[in-house]
Amino acid sequence: MFVYNKKLQFPVKITHTDPRLASIIISQYGGPDGELGASLRYLSQRYSMPYPDLQGLLTDIGTEELGHLEMVGAIVHQLTRKLTDSQIENSNFAPYFVDHSASVYPTAASGFPWSAASMAVKGDPITDLTEDLAAEQKARTTYDNILRLSDDPDVNEVIKFLRQREVVHFQRFGEALQLLRERLNEKNVYAMNPALDM
Amino acid sequence: MDYRNHQPETGCADNMGVLPCCAPLANPYVPFQQENAATYQAPMGLVRGTLYPGLDLPFMGMVNQNEQSHTPMHQLQALNFAISELGLYLDTHPTDQEAIDLFNQYVEQYSHAMQQYEQNYGPLNQMSSALSGTYEWTKGPWPWDYDANKEG
Repeated sequence: MFVYNKKLQFPVKITHTDPRLASIIISQYGGPDGELGASLRYLSQRYSMPYPDLQGLLTDIGTEELGHLEMVGAIVHQLTRKLTDSQIENSNFAPYFVDHSASVYPTAASGFPWSAASMAVKGDPITDLTEDLAAEQKARTTYDNILRLSDDPDVNEVIKFLRQREVVHFQRFGEALQLLRERLNEKNVYAMNPALDM
Repeated sequence: MDYRNHQPETGCADNMGVLPCCAPLANPYVPFQQENAATYQAPMGLVRGTLYPGLDLPFMGMVNQNEQSHTPMHQLQALNFAISELGLYLDTHPTDQEAIDLFNQYVEQYSHAMQQYEQNYGPLNQMSSALSGTYEWTKGPWPWDYDANKEG
């Protein structure tokens, strides 16, 4: 089970209201490579992972992603603090605002609401870990892109942290793939699906 | 399995890992991080987003230089971060004794810091709200609020 800890993984203290930036950063809440998809991907892949140590890694990274989801939510929440009508009118935040006011809703920056179609749980450990490697790179690129678009130091401090976590997770998933491979037939790791055939 | 415990004779730099010398075709490989990797102290690890200098790979040279101020919350966050980072490392390197020792040290420091924090500022989880005799769990600010994160 999960127990809530009353603290963020990394402090989020955004001084300046900036609805334009909020409308971009919301993508890491509910966009195709965001933290909601990340946590659900790993926490869902655990069930068909046949090895306890790799179930553990998926659990730990999936749990950390839930913490990242909370941090991205906190960024959006604080960027839309004390919004004035003119700030809304003069930014591209208006289309989001009309549906969600100043709340936090899982959607892509492009307006598409969060979709489970943006993640995969294939039920084959090699396939799932390879998906996870790609997912971490896609999230990293999204954070790179946010850094290109934002010059708010309070926001960027948090984004740099989150981006670096993607690099570390990529490393661990790569190691997990090797630990998995060592348990399979070394002449042909694709000889069967260890989630079904062992 | 063996190659991971045998460092090459020349040794690999800290930002390099080891690969098997012969490997099955049609498989993706990420070099395995070597044991006894250098680490930052917890507060520096937190601002950099990793405890490992060898994995610290910023975009366009954009790095967080300054550690968070030494508030009791930031201290907790730094210790907690070191624990989860070492935890992920140990998930794939469960026999690295040096990392196990460091993990245990940070867990001990965290339990102590958490106790201190809860005595002074209130419960960090619902169960520890039982310690004070009054129910203070829902007292704000909650972690996503600006006021919970600003300094001083």
